[in-house]
Amino acid sequence: MDRERYPSSVLAVGLLIVALLATQCTTPTPQPTVEEKPAEVAEATAAPQPTEPPTAEAAPNIFVYAHPTSFPDLDPAISYSNDSVIMSNCYETLTFYNPPGSDTLLAPVLATDWETNEEATEWTFHLRQGVTFQDGEPFNAEAVKYSIEKTKELGVGAAYIWDAVETVEVVDESTIKFKLSYPAPLDLVASAGYAAWIYSPKTYEQKGTEWFNEGHCAGTGPYTIENYERGSRLVMTRNENYWGGWRAGQFDKIVFEIVEDPVVRQQMIEAGTASFTYEPPPDNLPALAARDDLVVYTNPSYQNLLGLLNTHKPPLDNKLVRQALSYSFPYAQFIEGVMQDRATQAHGPVPAGMWGHSDDLLQYSYDLEKAKQLLAEAGYPDGGFKLLLTYAAGDLDEQQLGELWKADLAKLGIELEIQGMNWEAQWDLSKSDPQNAQDVLVMYWWPDYISPYSFLYSMFHSEEEILFNLAYYSSPEYDQLIDTAYELSGSDRAKATDMFIQAQQILIDDAVSLYFYDLGNTHIARTNVTGYADNPAYPHVVFVYQLTQAE
Amino acid sequence: MATTPNVERAGLQTEHRTARFREYHLMLQAFRRDILAVLSLVVIVLFVLGAILAPLLTPYAGQGRGDPNILEKFRPPSSAHPLGTDYLGRDVWARILFGGRSSLSIGFLVVTVASVIGIPLGATAGYYGGWIDNLIMRITDMFLAFPPLLLAIAIAAALGPSFINAMIAIAFTWWPWYARLVRAQTLSLREQYFVEAARSIGVSDVTIIVRHILPNVLAPVLVQATMDIGSAILTGAAISFVGLGVRPPTPDWGEMISTGRIYFIERPWFAGSAGAAIFLVTLAFNLLGDAMRDVADPRTRRAVA
Amino acid sequence: MHKWEYVIRRLAMAVVVLASVSIITFVIARIIPSDPAAAWVGSHPTQEQIAKARQQLGLDRPLYEQYLRYMRSLLRGDLGTSVRSHQPVATDLKTFLPATMELVLAGMVMAIVIGIPLGVLSGARKGGPLDHVTRLFSIAGVSMPTFWLGLLLQLLFFKRLGLLPLGSRVSTEIALYHPVTRITGFYLVDTAVTGNWVAFKDALNHIILPAFTLGTYAIGLTIRMTRSTMIEVLNEKYILAARVSGLPERTVLFVLALKNAIIPTITVLGLSFVYSLTGALLVEVIFSWPGLGTYVTNAVLSIDFPVIVSVTLVVAVFYVFINLFLDLVQAMIDPRVTLQ
Repeated sequence: MDRERYPSSVLAVGLLIVALLATQCTTPTPQPTVEEKPAEVAEATAAPQPTEPPTAEAAPNIFVYAHPTSFPDLDPAISYSNDSVIMSNCYETLTFYNPPGSDTLLAPVLATDWETNEEATEWTFHLRQGVTFQDGEPFNAEAVKYSIEKTKELGVGAAYIWDAVETVEVVDESTIKFKLSYPAPLDLVASAGYAAWIYSPKTYEQKGTEWFNEGHCAGTGPYTIENYERGSRLVMTRNENYWGGWRAGQFDKIVFEIVEDPVVRQQMIEAGTASFTYEPPPDNLPALAARDDLVVYTNPSYQNLLGLLNTHKPPLDNKLVRQALSYSFPYAQFIEGVMQDRATQAHGPVPAGMWGHSDDLLQYSYDLEKAKQLLAEAGYPDGGFKLLLTYAAGDLDEQQLGELWKADLAKLGIELEIQGMNWEAQWDLSKSDPQNAQDVLVMYWWPDYISPYSFLYSMFHSEEEILFNLAYYSSPEYDQLIDTAYELSGSDRAKATDMFIQAQQILIDDAVSLYFYDLGNTHIARTNVTGYADNPAYPHVVFVYQLTQAE
Repeated sequence: MATTPNVERAGLQTEHRTARFREYHLMLQAFRRDILAVLSLVVIVLFVLGAILAPLLTPYAGQGRGDPNILEKFRPPSSAHPLGTDYLGRDVWARILFGGRSSLSIGFLVVTVASVIGIPLGATAGYYGGWIDNLIMRITDMFLAFPPLLLAIAIAAALGPSFINAMIAIAFTWWPWYARLVRAQTLSLREQYFVEAARSIGVSDVTIIVRHILPNVLAPVLVQATMDIGSAILTGAAISFVGLGVRPPTPDWGEMISTGRIYFIERPWFAGSAGAAIFLVTLAFNLLGDAMRDVADPRTRRAVA
Repeated sequence: MHKWEYVIRRLAMAVVVLASVSIITFVIARIIPSDPAAAWVGSHPTQEQIAKARQQLGLDRPLYEQYLRYMRSLLRGDLGTSVRSHQPVATDLKTFLPATMELVLAGMVMAIVIGIPLGVLSGARKGGPLDHVTRLFSIAGVSMPTFWLGLLLQLLFFKRLGLLPLGSRVSTEIALYHPVTRITGFYLVDTAVTGNWVAFKDALNHIILPAFTLGTYAIGLTIRMTRSTMIEVLNEKYILAARVSGLPERTVLFVLALKNAIIPTITVLGLSFVYSLTGALLVEVIFSWPGLGTYVTNAVLSIDFPVIVSVTLVVAVFYVFINLFLDLVQAMIDPRVTLQ
């Protein structure tokens, strides 16, 4: 565009540079809006310490994790997101949920053993002795009491998992007792992937959330945070005083490289610059798996994809129509063509591999004839209506799901409009008046701690004010079934399992949602990294302490 | 006294009109001699025809519109699919043809809407001057203060992803340029004799603007518009690239690059073709605009003899 | 007298413009359907958590009150807190702005180093083979979709030739073994100043492709502008005189002619600079460049309302002040402007 101006844009540019450099000097005091703790003025991040370049003898073993997202919260009482990959290396929980295929469900970590009374309303944990926090403070029952009460008090993130806890009693240095207001499986709760870490009371009191988010750690775990360059990478280094001790071949450092571009992640793992990663460009997995220097771990995760149906808006308020829809989706073609090895068709709302899952439940399949029949029965022999499906914008799998389904629904005379939306926008829409909301909401669900209740309650329990029950489903029979089962989970797991399965049958009969697939986790590691055991209870977490670098 | 002004007015107008026609004639002749210009015009016409006649130019019209063909995903270019297939197995050539519909239209629509808003505002500002001018200029300043792509993205995000909203968002950031251009032209025209003359006879302001000023402003605006269509197409592609344009499965060149990006290194054909399409069309419009500018300015117009 | 009046008037206008920009951005961002309170809390929030967050973030107050609250904290230097990263936007800006600036400036350097000489030579030998090639190159430059060019360059230089890296600012090895000490945030400057030449070379390798991709438009524009003004200037009588008096062609072109052709060219550079700020959005996404572009794109797509508002405002301030500055300078030089 022509501007008849006589410039000194040179001066303008110079001014800009000066202005820019000036911004380096001003440090506005950050105002915390969530944390009640007084925040300290942001300390200048220490200049990164150069790691010793590898010499012949003392080459440090460095584990590089090419991670797809950045890390919002490093405060152990609050953290509720992908930061768990970092947190789980630095903090520990009382119990540990073993990977599928293990002999026992739970393993002792900071608690060596535990017992409960018959109604599962009183839990006593015996704590490990000789453990210290990374700040030097001793690990004891006081610390556990502090951590759990503080997390509960802040009430953010997954803190609600401790809702059943009424009082926490320090019996002695290494014994702690929880009294619950209603029965709950506290041993499972204590193994959760969030909100269950034990951290040093002294450090937490003294420093604030700001301090943690700058890149510091105050746990009992094998690694501690050395340096954090926001948006780029976080470096962890060995905690020499770790109670588990160290053997040869273990990793000295962990580097979390934030790599949002899947192409770059793939390049890094292929070149060996990264030791571990996940989510490469989807269709490249077979090529990666074929390589000698890489191992692809495909395991079930506890994450699944559902399509919640708007049960309050015609024609989906008619059970027959919902069932017809359930028969209209090309499950096999979608899994084979789009997801391939990354997922399996879901068998109900509880994912495979988790207790409470059952392969005996009815699984809808792709059957257009049956769908047509049901539609005719419902009064729509030629379809003739429009449906709106919303999915997470940018998610290629969900987008393809929509595109494929659209083609099949067209054969039934149903017009499907697919709309990619930001999650909050989708959620907002579905929380509004059901008559104006979308007809199908496609979303992922994953549990906060390992129990079918997380799925069955959050998405299908009656709600006065809609939160995640985005199908607006309400069945008192169903509610009662799962509530009772939850209370029994701690004391009579077998009975609880039966009841959860019964509840799922109700949901499937009512065709409240489509159950698209159980997402598998695909993690890629270099072959010279041994000891990795995929654990869906802690999504994408690598417990680097368990790994060794083979030469 | 009633007849004389009319006769004079008519006389002025006819003289003016003939001068203008002669001018256009010269421009057209010069244009025809510029090879690049003619070539660009041909390219543009081909693309537009391709978009309009898309269903006739490919056996895979259904796929072009969005039907999936999952079993043939990611086929490299072959005799069955000259440009290969995309992530849902759809023929890329068909997607490009149908994609032209939204990608090209957005260019034309944006420029049209921006002109429709900008021209009258600019002419009014330039002609009346004073506080009207000030007001309108401050409003354009406000719009120009926004980083254009950012504003377009923000508006598109606010309105929701769709073709119309993307078009509105971009036009919203585009019109100030036209207003300014027209205003500058109007300012200089205003001082010229024929306007003085018209005013002295008693012709109304509106008539002056519409009949005398606008037609003379048309040439530079047209040149600018032609060149802008290319940029508008680029911006439209950028908006789709971020995911805020047409909704899948409707094809769009920007969206094709966006989805194809992560596969590009190993399977370049669908993001590559879409990019090439955008590039060629934008290039053609820019060359055309360049040629038009050369032709409209008597100093740079090559002698026609 | 006139001049000062003009200056004051323009300053006042600038303030008004900025105020309106802030209002418009604020309103637009609030129209976007989303729920910042829920976004703040994270995935799977409970009703209580959302309600609590809504209160803390002041979202239950009427819109104008929220706006005033925002403006007040703005004047204190507080640009709000990102709903996603829970970090103050100002901190994030400090982290990401230098990266973008470095990229944009590198692109401008390319525009100057490549564009001006080519423009001069092309204008001098108008109609010749060099001229045609350059013209084609320059017009291709302004027609090229940046995101496509970036992909092509990656394909060529990374995949086929293996010469340059795929993205980001430095490689992991360098970050670990020869880390860049952060002084200005401009890696090329910081590494040179601290004598960290290994890292300097690495950073240079990483910046070449994205800077070139971003700078292509500026290069094209610069060539065109330099060329056309060069052509005009070269027709002047004093050039003829210089040539006749025996001055070497090199001097005639690059000293005499360029001096007069440079002014509009610099205008174009200024405009390209401003254009590059937004072009950086796309380039950063393709090259995984951790700068403002990636930051803002993510913010818009995830509807991180405080970030969108603050960053738009910051960039608008840039724009307004550049324009104001240019206006004022022109007013100083050209008296006709103030008489309008």
